[in-house]
Amino acid sequence: MQLSTSPDPTARISIRGLSKFYKDYLALDRIDLDISKGEKIVVLGPSGSGKSTFIRCLNRIEPHDSGVLMIDGHVIDDRTDLTALRGSVGMVFQNYNLFPHLSVLDNCTLAPRLVRGITKSDAEATARRYLSQVNIAEQAEKFPIQLSGGQQQRVAIARALCMNPEIILFDEPTAALDPESISGIVGIMRDLADQGITTVCVTHEMGFARHIADRIVFMDRGAVLEVTPPEEFFTAPRTERARTFLAQMIRH
Amino acid sequence: MLAAALLALAVLLPAARALADDLPSFVHDGQLTLCTNPTLPPMTFVNGSDTNALAGMDIDLARRLAAYWHVALIPQTMDFEGLFPSLSAQRCGMVISGVLRQAGRLRNYDAVAYLDSTVVAVARVGTPKIREMADLSGQTVAVQSGTSYAAQIERENDRLRASGRPPIILQQYPTEDQVVQQVLIGRVHAFISQDVELYYRQKQLGGKVTIILTPDYPDFHQFAVYIRKDSRDSALLQKAIDELSQKGEIAAMAKKWGISGDHQSVFTERNAPSRFDFATFFGALFSTAFLKGAALTLVIALLSHLTAIAISIPMAMKLNGRDSIIRRLLGLYVAVFRGAPTLLQLLFIWNALPQFFPIFREHWFTPFLATWLSLSINESAYQVEINRAALRAVDPGQVLAADALGMTTAQTYRHVIFPQALRIALPPTINEFISLLKTTSLASVISLQELLAVTQIQVARTFQFTEYYAAALVYYLAMVFFFLFLQKRIERRFIWADRNKASADAA
Ligand SMILES: Nc1ncnc2c1ncn2[C@@H]1O[C@H](COP(=O)(O)OP(=O)(O)OP(=O)(O)O)[C@@H](O)[C@H]1O
Ligand SMILES: [Mg+2]
Repeated sequence: MQLSTSPDPTARISIRGLSKFYKDYLALDRIDLDISKGEKIVVLGPSGSGKSTFIRCLNRIEPHDSGVLMIDGHVIDDRTDLTALRGSVGMVFQNYNLFPHLSVLDNCTLAPRLVRGITKSDAEATARRYLSQVNIAEQAEKFPIQLSGGQQQRVAIARALCMNPEIILFDEPTAALDPESISGIVGIMRDLADQGITTVCVTHEMGFARHIADRIVFMDRGAVLEVTPPEEFFTAPRTERARTFLAQMIRH
Repeated sequence: MLAAALLALAVLLPAARALADDLPSFVHDGQLTLCTNPTLPPMTFVNGSDTNALAGMDIDLARRLAAYWHVALIPQTMDFEGLFPSLSAQRCGMVISGVLRQAGRLRNYDAVAYLDSTVVAVARVGTPKIREMADLSGQTVAVQSGTSYAAQIERENDRLRASGRPPIILQQYPTEDQVVQQVLIGRVHAFISQDVELYYRQKQLGGKVTIILTPDYPDFHQFAVYIRKDSRDSALLQKAIDELSQKGEIAAMAKKWGISGDHQSVFTERNAPSRFDFATFFGALFSTAFLKGAALTLVIALLSHLTAIAISIPMAMKLNGRDSIIRRLLGLYVAVFRGAPTLLQLLFIWNALPQFFPIFREHWFTPFLATWLSLSINESAYQVEINRAALRAVDPGQVLAADALGMTTAQTYRHVIFPQALRIALPPTINEFISLLKTTSLASVISLQELLAVTQIQVARTFQFTEYYAAALVYYLAMVFFFLFLQKRIERRFIWADRNKASADAA
């Protein structure tokens, strides 16, 4: 697939020549990518290839240094209203990063109340709706420490959903989970896509990637080497680097 | 009629002028300020349980001098060591506090003598009399610190060493009552003091101690009023004292306070009760003086610690941040105020600061403010380390999550970081507070009437150490236990950090 040189304002996310440096280390190397509404993108690549850095650029937790990032036709740069951006681009972390001092319910209502100014009762009604969507409604009054890893990750997804995002970024959401919990998360991510939410997910789980992805983005040394549907990527990778990567993953 | 009034005015005006001209420079704004350490009866002490009611020969003399110059007397009480620094800092116009006229002090101050006195060495009853100070060779002797007896004993010791004999072992205590107590409990062989003190203490000491020597030191013969060096002031003060003396007023004061010549008649039978006196103990416990002292201790500790916390939170955030000039300056601040003894900082702020900034000499800068200022600064240097560690202990992922949810930095601190840091900081902070509560007792050196200062003043008056110390102890312990209890209560709110407790709470 050949992309035009200018960003596509009709895409949900459109990226052209995106680069990022840490001091003089090139962490992201001229990335081009278009992601459409409701698409499920999985980012694969060896450790240190820049996957986390890449998705953190998408909600500008890490600002990029050059290139263009466009979300829903709006250019994201240092003039962007970050509050609005973070509202439409949610994020879920490997270690859940729930607020330990707040109950599950309060974890889900804190940001909507503070950032969006939603009333407590409205925020709680929304939170309970999303908590039941991720099958955890009965834990609403507990503290995070009382929940299993899989339950905590579902709370983290519900917390992100409470901001009504159009895009959710996942950074290795299943890395700390057992297989059963992983399949629960897979189901939830499918539901998100059905609701029209675009997901970009970094993972090391090949099975998970295969099940969930519409397209696989393969990265190495800060550059995107392949963007292909999963069947093609896992059966006939185009680059030598992807072949060795897959060979190593299967061996492990 | 009018003419008569004008005439009267014409006569009175020059008289009023002359009066103003005759005022020493340390008397101004209608006030005569006095520095005194009220732990030396009958010269200067607190009579009764009201710590503001000063009494004694020195106080009477100061009042009489104020009346002589037609001004009001403003007394300030403080530790003995604080007297001369305060005089230099212009915190007061004169020192009258049972201080002897001595050549050494005359280099820096002017002194006018008002009362004759004799040095005495005192030991427990039954101790044999000695012929000279050298006979105390190898014995332990107690004196009040800041007095010149120590230097005198050092001179004695030089002679002893020269003749190959063991020196006198010297112990110094901040108050005269503690000095006497060392003899009563048998820790030291003798103490050195002035005879006048013994006349007064006979009620408390009768039958327990005896004078073993009245050494003839030329420099220890007169009590004097001290002022800053100024020949005109000195002459005016001398004139005032001479006049009072000629009118027999000074002799009357001495008589009133029982200061009269016969040593031997002092120590007659009379045995004071030596058991624990519960009436005194409970009296002290429920006295307004102790309640006020404890309240002051509590208030100054709370205020200082709250101020310290308030300034140390932004300091900790800055110190945890990027390297900068401000960060280095803060590092220096912490090092200096943790390095220097708290007592030194108090004395510096009270006595040295006014020499750099005269504004700190004014009346609004009370011992309370000075204590608040120095304890806040001192405590913030400790609290900042607690805050830093607590802030660092919060997982950076928390900030990331709040950031990703669109929360501002202020919201993140308020709702995410501080509540978690508080749990980590609370136990060491309560520990710091308890330690600060006890540190406030140092403020007695700059005359803050906190709990320990009240206790010492009462002890100086009555000599009932055990009872007053016990009452003070009860107050300190009650305050400490209350805050430990409070800590337990607050910690219960942190069930979120403990899986078992959180589950037990839900069940
Ligand atoms: N804040 C930072 N400062 C400097 N270098 C960084 C920073 N964050 C990441 N890097 C570097 O950038 C490169 C890419 O890191 P990144 O975390 O994006 O990799 P990754 O693909 O997510 O790896 P992993 O699979 O191990 O999570 C690495 O070499 C890393 O050391
Ligand atoms: Mg990563």
